[in-house]
Amino acid sequence: MGLLKNRCGALPRLALLLVLGGIAGAAAAVSEYQLKAVFLFNFAHFVEWPQAALPPDSAPFVIGVLGKDPFGSELDAVVHGESVSGHPLAIERFADVARLRNCQILFIPADELAHLDEILGALKGRSVLTVTEGPAPRGVMIDLVKEDNRIRLRIDLDAARAGNLTISSKLLRPAQIVGAGG
Amino acid sequence: MCGKPERRTCFSSHTEAVPARNGRRALARLVICVLLGQTATAQAAAGPEPTTGDLKQLSLDDLMNVQVTSVAKEPQKLLQAAASIQVITAEDIRRSGATSIPEALRLADNLEVAQINAHDWAISARGFNANLANKLLVLIDGRVVYTPLYGGVLWNVQDYLLQDIDRIEVISGPGGTLWGANAVNGVINIVTKSASATQGLYASGGGGNELREQEGLRYGTQIGDTAVRFYGKYTDYGDEALANGTNAQDGWHMARGGFRMDTQATSQDLLTLQGDLYNGTENDGAVGEAGQSGGNVLGRWTHTAASGASMSLQVYYDHTYLQDPVAASPPVPPFYTGFPAASLTDNLDTDDVDFQYHFGWGARQSITWGLGYRATHEADFDVSLIQFTPPVLNQALYSGFLQDEIRLARGVYFTIGSKLEHNDYTGYEAEPSGRLQWNLDATQLLWAAVSRAVRTPSRYDHDLVVPSGLVDAPPPFQFPSAYLLGSPDFRAETLIAYEAGYRAALTQQLTGSVSIFYNDYSNLRSTTATAATPTYPYPYPVYFRNNLEGDTYGAELSASYQLLDWWRLHLGYDLLRQNLHVAPGATDATDATNETADPQQQVKLRSSMDLPRNITLDAALRWVDELHINNGPTGGPVVGVVPSYYELDSRLAWRLTRKLELSVVGQNLLHEQHVEYGFPSPTREQIVRSVFAKLTWGY
Repeated sequence: MGLLKNRCGALPRLALLLVLGGIAGAAAAVSEYQLKAVFLFNFAHFVEWPQAALPPDSAPFVIGVLGKDPFGSELDAVVHGESVSGHPLAIERFADVARLRNCQILFIPADELAHLDEILGALKGRSVLTVTEGPAPRGVMIDLVKEDNRIRLRIDLDAARAGNLTISSKLLRPAQIVGAGG
Repeated sequence: MCGKPERRTCFSSHTEAVPARNGRRALARLVICVLLGQTATAQAAAGPEPTTGDLKQLSLDDLMNVQVTSVAKEPQKLLQAAASIQVITAEDIRRSGATSIPEALRLADNLEVAQINAHDWAISARGFNANLANKLLVLIDGRVVYTPLYGGVLWNVQDYLLQDIDRIEVISGPGGTLWGANAVNGVINIVTKSASATQGLYASGGGGNELREQEGLRYGTQIGDTAVRFYGKYTDYGDEALANGTNAQDGWHMARGGFRMDTQATSQDLLTLQGDLYNGTENDGAVGEAGQSGGNVLGRWTHTAASGASMSLQVYYDHTYLQDPVAASPPVPPFYTGFPAASLTDNLDTDDVDFQYHFGWGARQSITWGLGYRATHEADFDVSLIQFTPPVLNQALYSGFLQDEIRLARGVYFTIGSKLEHNDYTGYEAEPSGRLQWNLDATQLLWAAVSRAVRTPSRYDHDLVVPSGLVDAPPPFQFPSAYLLGSPDFRAETLIAYEAGYRAALTQQLTGSVSIFYNDYSNLRSTTATAATPTYPYPYPVYFRNNLEGDTYGAELSASYQLLDWWRLHLGYDLLRQNLHVAPGATDATDATNETADPQQQVKLRSSMDLPRNITLDAALRWVDELHINNGPTGGPVVGVVPSYYELDSRLAWRLTRKLELSVVGQNLLHEQHVEYGFPSPTREQIVRSVFAKLTWGY
């Protein structure tokens, strides 16, 4: 707190160039959304959709992102050239609920959870795997929860059942389950 | 699996014959090992960048063990921030070798950070870094830490166990709509990690020539649904030097400790309770010792409703005490009574309640509103050179804000809102803003904003009395009773700010942002001299007024480039031009020189290397332009210069085992001592080169 006193006391009167040989070991880290994008990609393989909810013939299997897209180009990079059961994977971005079109997986970024009632209302009776980033209220099927700098899965079995989706035990085993499922 | 510290298993693919069909899996395991920070020797790892392709080969179990970088570091996340914001991550802080929060703030390109002496700092954004800088709002976990005594921040007492800080968000530009008065030129948001992210034992200790010693200790554990941590930190800093090389006798030490508890009460309710205590002593040259102590306790309840709406209720109490010695001023008979040696003491109690609610309204709008109440009780006692009248003051601050984010079109958002608050000095103040955000595509953001912000009066502006001590003038003459006085009619300083910016993740390797601003200020603090007469030939007392106005403009540039897997570069550049003047028809005793002390330009260059054998090397070079500083509110205009300077900080660290790390840090390496701030005088202090070693265990 010398500041006040100093003020009043005046009243009446790359340089470090290091030559380092060798090749460095990589210690690069994975970005959060790169990892989340890979999870979304995996869900396409570990969830069963009713036949009616799958796209016809070789039409694309769509992973949708609602609202502001937090992935940048990561999601596009993950699905590039990939397919599931003969359907090429594609990404579609929906500006808001009113513009929601057909998709098999819908990612709801944290910012969009404020509109959750409308989102779930619009999806009612449709077999769309809903995924968000927690902590999420009930009703979203899969929650990607960041804990201790790792991504954990929280799966709401009731919500998945309501959407007529079957989640593989491979996905359920490492996940935290909420809801009875039955 | 590889997550355990059994280093050998990570390289099993190199020591065992691996069946071909497991080849990809082996690569994946290797990647995981690298990600988890295992030893990756040069030949073995050959730098496999964890690409998306690698990650796709991992099993779900493995994916759940991959560590991600902090959210705050996400360029994608920042691409949604329509403001001139920079985020200092926990890793940035660790790798910088910073020992305190002000040192860590040097990492923000959009801040001016100048060390005045061993314990005092001058920190501001977009100018006005004069003595008692007052246009920055600083919060630690939602607790406001600027002092109503002069509207600035006592940087010497704002600290934490740096290991447990999650991030520091630095916003240059006004934030009054959300944060209220004093968020004029910038907001610094210091956010600590949740207790669940700081489990286990962490211990560190080190010392050197300037940092005599620093120890840190934390223990975190989980009790049922509650995660809790306790921490302690002790630091002893040595003396800086005077221009002639003699010891400035300004060393100091500070001890602090605290706790944080986070309870996930239900899946929708998060409860946080935290508190801190600190106590320190500073040497103040020949004047004596200054003391600081304080503490706070804060509780927060965050609830996410089933509808997705969220609310938070926060309550805190903060106590700040400081005692600052004032040297005796010997009497000079017959006219000057003099003053005995004394101490200025400031006792501040703050109670604060803050409520916020956020919900979606229709498909296009997100609304946030909040209410706040703050009561302060401040007692300032001094018998001599610096007085505040009344010595004890109770004040109340009421505030409310409403903000609406409206989606106009795909990727285009308009945010409009205002804060309205009532303070006891100037009554109602409004701080509206409008902000436009346009996401050109997934990797580029353009934004623009117009905002109004205010700095409400501090006790310094309003209640200050600096008595003259002069008596018994021979008739008909009269002596002034005081040199400097605050003004009961001091008004709020106002700013209208126009800003625009562009932020992009141009490639995976190159990210950057640029912001430009034009700030239009009015009612800035000035000093007005008393009119002299033949029998009263003095300019004293000088009064504070609001006679200054003018504009500033500038640019802030920041870019990060991942040159190689193991080598990252960062560049920051700031430009600031200031045109302040005395309002037409008004006067200022210092000719509009007293509120600024800012470099016109500054450049920062950082290099971060991950070397073999778990060695990291970081270096930060900064160049700060010269700055002009006035000699106090009544002494001027007598403007002195702090010369431009280059300085370099560097840190070399070696992770000996998974938990044990040894580091050597050098600060201000280029000069034996250099000056960063202060009017030129024999007592202006210089900052001495500092080198220290540190051992840490845990994380």
